[in-house]
Amino acid sequence: MKIGLVLPSTPGYSETFFRNKILGLQQNGIKVILFVNDYKSDEYFLNCKVIKAPRLGGNKFKVVLNIFMQVLKMVLVSPRNSLKLFILNKKDKLSTTQNVKQVIANQFLLTEKLDWIHFGFGTMTLGRENVAQTIGAKMAVSFRGFDIGIYPLKHPNCYKSMFQKVNKIHVISDDLANLLYQEGLSEYKKIVKITPAIDTHFFLSEAKKENAILQFTTIARLHWKKGLENTLEALCLLNQQGIDFKYTIIGDGGEKERLIFAVKQLKLTEKVIFTGKLSSEKVKKQLEATDIYIQYSLQEGFCNAVLEAQAMGVLCIVSDAEGLSENVIDKVTGFVVPKQQPKLLFKKIKEVIDLDDAQKKELSLKAMERVQNEFTIEKQQQEFLNFYEEN
Amino acid sequence: MKDNLKIAIYSGEIPSTTFIERLILGLSDKGCKILLFGYVTKKIKYKEGVIIRGYADNRWYKMSQFLRYSVLLFLFRNTEKKKLDEYIAKEMKKKTFAKMKYYPVLWHKPHIFHLQWTKSVKDWIWVQDFGIKLVVSLRGTHITTTPLSDLKVSEEYKKYFPRIDGFHAVSEALKKEGEKYGADSSKIKVVYSGLSEADFVDKKRNQDKVFKIISVGRNHWIKGYSYALDSCKILKENQFEFEYTIIGASGAEELEFVKEKYKLSKEVIFTGNKSFNEVQESIKNADLLLLPSIEEGIANTVLEAMQLGTIVLTTNCGGMSEVIKNGKNGFIVPIRDPQMIAESIMNLASMDQKKSEEIIKEAFITIQNNHSEKKMITDMISLYNDVLNNAYQNSSQDKLGK
Repeated sequence: MKIGLVLPSTPGYSETFFRNKILGLQQNGIKVILFVNDYKSDEYFLNCKVIKAPRLGGNKFKVVLNIFMQVLKMVLVSPRNSLKLFILNKKDKLSTTQNVKQVIANQFLLTEKLDWIHFGFGTMTLGRENVAQTIGAKMAVSFRGFDIGIYPLKHPNCYKSMFQKVNKIHVISDDLANLLYQEGLSEYKKIVKITPAIDTHFFLSEAKKENAILQFTTIARLHWKKGLENTLEALCLLNQQGIDFKYTIIGDGGEKERLIFAVKQLKLTEKVIFTGKLSSEKVKKQLEATDIYIQYSLQEGFCNAVLEAQAMGVLCIVSDAEGLSENVIDKVTGFVVPKQQPKLLFKKIKEVIDLDDAQKKELSLKAMERVQNEFTIEKQQQEFLNFYEEN
Repeated sequence: MKDNLKIAIYSGEIPSTTFIERLILGLSDKGCKILLFGYVTKKIKYKEGVIIRGYADNRWYKMSQFLRYSVLLFLFRNTEKKKLDEYIAKEMKKKTFAKMKYYPVLWHKPHIFHLQWTKSVKDWIWVQDFGIKLVVSLRGTHITTTPLSDLKVSEEYKKYFPRIDGFHAVSEALKKEGEKYGADSSKIKVVYSGLSEADFVDKKRNQDKVFKIISVGRNHWIKGYSYALDSCKILKENQFEFEYTIIGASGAEELEFVKEKYKLSKEVIFTGNKSFNEVQESIKNADLLLLPSIEEGIANTVLEAMQLGTIVLTTNCGGMSEVIKNGKNGFIVPIRDPQMIAESIMNLASMDQKKSEEIIKEAFITIQNNHSEKKMITDMISLYNDVLNNAYQNSSQDKLGK
């Protein structure tokens, strides 16, 4: 079997999701080809051939040259597929200009003979709805948080055409599936849920030290989606009650100014530490020293960091944003609090602090067990095999 | 006042914001000679007494400006030119650009160089070496947030603030912020923003059942719009009928997301920027102006609403409590508290006609007394005079010392 994976760029070192998926498929004798938008990527990646999209922005001279090359390709390499794509697009009532643009821009996707073409993100299918049918492949799409949670807000009905053509859709949580139905997907059977997975051999709990003061941790990009301002507001209330703690935020991002201002305004300067991005080893170390892990996001596909924390036996308090309430089972493997309500988060943190040791132990064991059973890379790789093989 | 007081009002851009433009015109009406330097974004004609010595974003324009002033300075004030060149060589990265920007200021030598945006203080501290007095405005995020997250900026403030000849603070609260970086308290004068005079509008209460709320201001986290949306959710849960418009917030991903999640597409409207007159019209037509900010100097839109007869609900941030007295000329709630915003809105919507008229009247009087353009200009000129008199006293003391 031969699968083409369409991604923005070759997966970075920390993007374990696609790396693991590719490795798993290869181990089972499936050939994987990568199609990427990033023209700077290498020719090969994890033993996959990498085919790059032509650069159609920036230096005008280069763009003209690239378009010319694509037109040559269209005539000499894949004239039949190009014509086929043009006709299919025309059936969809695309304007001729748009149609020609699409045929030229998608040349790089037309050259390989594939069994499946799998788009790594929903937004990557836009303007490529007919590519799979053109090359005689089946079409698969993965949906994460942004492409169904946020993108359609500004682009209503953007997936309408794609929904009719896609063969299978992969989601990482039931909540994302619901969003897809809301957005107009009608065929339930097309959706397959495969949750993210983590390296459960690496994130294993080790004997915990007793902390002198409570340690809270969040791993997140510094972005409004992550609800860090709400978290700080909840911690401000905790501080006002005279409860001592340290809160570590691991991650970088554009909203640092907003958060630093909140820390000062909420009088938490002595309590909050921004570490920036950390290596997995350092993350593991921080999790080992953490009493409560908090992920109070406004929007979240699933969140691997919460899985990692649970695997390490750290008590987790999360918001009910999308996939989070599937990631943590409320009152069984951790706690789920309605999002955007700092007062409720504050109450929950207090409640968890006051749990007795036996209760804490039970929650943490349940969480570890569940992650070790259900969120392993091995399981995920098997699920992807089934994804392509079942019909 | 000194005859022919020459003042440079510098905001980097010509024309500048509404309030800075108002300051320029007001000062020139009082007989000051105003010099404007910086980047000309739009052609604008002022009355006599306001001289533009800026540059357009055009290579030839900049080149000719650079050459003209190079020659003038070389011929008539070469010692000073050399001194400034040395400074530029030592301190500046883009040397030619710096010369193009600085030479006209050195040539025209205003008595006072009034810098409107705090963050550029490092770029203009040199004017003091040439006998020009440097006055800096303390306003906006440049003083409230930037130095908190940007250590470099905070170091610069600590280094330069003690040397500045005079500060204009837009509120008492910002005066205190300035003092944190070593600004001499006696050199900071609070000058409130002023509005041009207007007649009191006896606004009749909207007969519509739907309560109209408005906010005005760019989409920035400091404006606290996400808290406003949280309170909209609470209003909706309480079956309170309202319509909330934010002028200047269209296209904000975070706000669009929250609006959608709270299912507020019917109640909440985001629009793009509007012209000054359109904004005034929208404020007039609203029942309430809401300022949900987490930090502000003194928000001009609040002052405008008070003048236009629209009731104000503001968070207690920055200098807002210097303007609004709760229940007297408007309403104040704590910052970051959507529950309180929602409750206040519901309470004030059911307020009786008489009480509402009293508040509107009181708000108008506040503006007349503390925020008239006349007062702003008089206060500003008195700040300039203090700066010049101080300088005179200091130099005579120096002489006595010798």
